[in-house]
Amino acid sequence: MIGCYDFCGHYEWTFEWLERLGGHELVKAYWDGAIHRDSQIHASKLIREKGFEGMKEYWGPTLADEGAVYERTVTDDVFRIDMHECPSKGFLLRNGLEQYSDYCDHCMGWIGPLMKDAGFVIDHEHNHCGQCWWEMRRKSDATLASEAGQLSGKHDVRLRPDWKSPHTDHYERATDPDDKTAAS
Amino acid sequence: MPVAANTESPLPYADTKRVGHADFYFAVNATFRFIIERFGYAKLVDYWRDLGGGYYKPVGDRWRSRGLTGVAEYWRAFFAAEPGADIGVVDSEDEVRLEVKTCPAIRHLREHGREIVPVFCQQCYFVNEAIAEPAGMMVRVCGGNGTCTQRFMKKTAGVPPQNLEDIATAS
Repeated sequence: MIGCYDFCGHYEWTFEWLERLGGHELVKAYWDGAIHRDSQIHASKLIREKGFEGMKEYWGPTLADEGAVYERTVTDDVFRIDMHECPSKGFLLRNGLEQYSDYCDHCMGWIGPLMKDAGFVIDHEHNHCGQCWWEMRRKSDATLASEAGQLSGKHDVRLRPDWKSPHTDHYERATDPDDKTAAS
Repeated sequence: MPVAANTESPLPYADTKRVGHADFYFAVNATFRFIIERFGYAKLVDYWRDLGGGYYKPVGDRWRSRGLTGVAEYWRAFFAAEPGADIGVVDSEDEVRLEVKTCPAIRHLREHGREIVPVFCQQCYFVNEAIAEPAGMMVRVCGGNGTCTQRFMKKTAGVPPQNLEDIATAS
């Protein structure tokens, strides 16, 4: 049986299996089709119907159940997550599992299309060491991403001494995993 | 795709949580549906076999070195980490029998009204057979759709091949 205890391990292995079968476009289609539109249909429904309130309802219990160490900051205009210990990437790092070229892309791979359908855009960075931050805003809101500490104060993951890594990916008003650039 | 092995525990990969998050069964079921809808049943069987021989290779290595004792140790540890499982592991000199009274995945998918891929339960034959084969073992599965029996034996002549009709359609 394929279990849920080590899910992140075989999930990551599956990305590489799919990449070998049908290339990057198949992996993207998997994140959107299997994860966003099937597995996480409950998240999609909550966020489409309730917006920021739906994000709170989805990510509150989910991240707690997964064992994440994170902070959430919500205003009328933005939903921000500071992920200090990603349970998913942490599992892979602790177990030395790295089959796929960039596991962290899977989050933008399913959350990006979900937010697009729900009318939101995402500012986001991940450092491939188990830390990342997200800001979701309505597509009609042209506000730029916050400066470090501006929204979440001392909880801002960018203030950590170990935040900077040689390989940090940056997304600006994005909804597609391929919209990334290297953070400066 | 070789993977690293944890040789201390019966489980090859360790998490900081005692049990997994059951919503991940949604993704397992969705992955099967994605593959079968795009590429057909045969490719899903390939996926299961590749997963068993690749990602789960450390499990097969341990079964090879520890024999049926290793098989029993693995399943006891495995189901202790799956939320909502009710199983028994019966080990004898000739085989390890896994009596699944409540499959945690089927239970969780049903509780949340998810449409279960009809061949969902065949994963247990194809993945486990791919783990067992390099260890000189074989697997036979009977039942499914929430309860089943899985027998792990040393590979011997005279045991009939797995009849897939013995594995129930999931719903």
